[in-house]
Amino acid sequence: MKIDLKKVGAWFDDRLALTPIFKYMTKKEVPQHSHSIWYYTGSSILLFLMIQIVTGIMLALYYRPTLEGATASIGRIMTELPLGWLIRSIHSWSATFMIAFVMIHLLAIWFTKSYRKPREATWMTGMMLLVVSMVFGFTGYLLPWDDLSLSATKVGTNIPMAIPVVGKWVTQFLRGGDDVTGDTLTRFFLFHVCILPLVIFAILAVHILLVQKEGMSVPLKDEIEKKRVPALPFWPNFVLREVMIWLVLLGTVLTLSLVFAPSLGLSADLMAPAPAGVKPEWYFLFLFQTLKIFPANMGPVTGEFVAVVIILLTVVAIFFLPFLDNKPDKKKGKIFTWLGAFGVIYAIVFSIWSLL
Amino acid sequence: MRIDNAYFTRRKFLNSLLGGWLGTLAVTFISPIVKFVWPPFKEPDEVKLVFADYSGMKSGEVKNFVWGNKPGLLKRAEDGSFIAWVGVCTHLDCNVTWVADKKKFFCACHEGWYDENGTNIAGPPPKPLRRLETAVEGEDFFVRKPGAGAKA
Repeated sequence: MKIDLKKVGAWFDDRLALTPIFKYMTKKEVPQHSHSIWYYTGSSILLFLMIQIVTGIMLALYYRPTLEGATASIGRIMTELPLGWLIRSIHSWSATFMIAFVMIHLLAIWFTKSYRKPREATWMTGMMLLVVSMVFGFTGYLLPWDDLSLSATKVGTNIPMAIPVVGKWVTQFLRGGDDVTGDTLTRFFLFHVCILPLVIFAILAVHILLVQKEGMSVPLKDEIEKKRVPALPFWPNFVLREVMIWLVLLGTVLTLSLVFAPSLGLSADLMAPAPAGVKPEWYFLFLFQTLKIFPANMGPVTGEFVAVVIILLTVVAIFFLPFLDNKPDKKKGKIFTWLGAFGVIYAIVFSIWSLL
Repeated sequence: MRIDNAYFTRRKFLNSLLGGWLGTLAVTFISPIVKFVWPPFKEPDEVKLVFADYSGMKSGEVKNFVWGNKPGLLKRAEDGSFIAWVGVCTHLDCNVTWVADKKKFFCACHEGWYDENGTNIAGPPPKPLRRLETAVEGEDFFVRKPGAGAKA
């Protein structure tokens, strides 16, 4: 029996009505200008997300989220399973690259002011994705359950306590009780492999849909001058360029994973004193240093409370940035560009300072 | 349909009735879920240790004990009595350690220091270490939250 593929295709199209999507993709165009390079950061994040999903599922096949078994199960993955050490290393390096590219993506949009009307919601979902990515990193950091990850988690989950009333409630939710215990580990594993993936897919779907709906933004200057910007067909021209960049990034991650594989400490002891040199992942270092410079008490409240409130307000302000920066082509817009630059310098200086 | 002089239509009334009922139903399910997610595990009110393990401590010596899910610190004072603290930093909850040659408690996470009386003296800790009460009863050695002794 010969299967008529055209008929099969027509059968599916009848039921799923996919033709408009394919038509849209073949017609889609990507503007070409001096800032076009930043368009590629979005799809690079998707590459790292896909690597995280594949390697994450592989690791979860053998990982055991318990007080007694966690560290040993990672040891087993690294020593007994074929290329297990490399899978873990790729998962760790790809996480770093994913966060880095989310930040680059955000800064590119900040400095080109692409969040301006009508793309405010795209920016806001993007900020949510940044926060979710960082929570992914934070929960994943505990899973090896060694001394450093235990102390980092104690500190991280204690920070909400600085906020009166609701803070204690948040900390208990994160820890599964008043203290960091084996329950915290099990809980973080659940967040990391079940809840956060559901959340990230839901937000990502809206984010990508909005990008398709509004199309790619063009530079502010060209938009004001109503200049016609030359464009490149998305398929196949732009996709070909994306694939080339993906291959380079994949090669970079693989090389780093091979040469600099993460180590594994001894299994954490809840009763042991905190080890010297407790540090969070690199993308939390500037926040870590910010918390450190505040004095113990500032008048009636603790310095930690002031620091936490300032950090939270900053995040909220960045979330609503498109509404604060509502005249991007005027003098006010320049101020926000400078604030962005200040933020970058602040984060870099404080990150380096925390390592000294 | 609206009855004469009524504030709302019959449709609106029935919608609110059904909506309100569904909302109430949801809340009754949420309450046990919340109780399950926020577990009832609390810090202990007291722990029982074996006195023989600590009776040989010299004056000024510091030993650890297990206080629920965290370390506790026990110091023998000059007069032979015992002083106990919860062994976690009041800044961000890291486990502190006794530095014997400096006679101070130290937290490595953010370099917080406490003197030998548990008072915060340097770094970010906002408060002294949390004090616990001690009591010797026969061969048992109790460490309690302040005020918990009356109940026991």
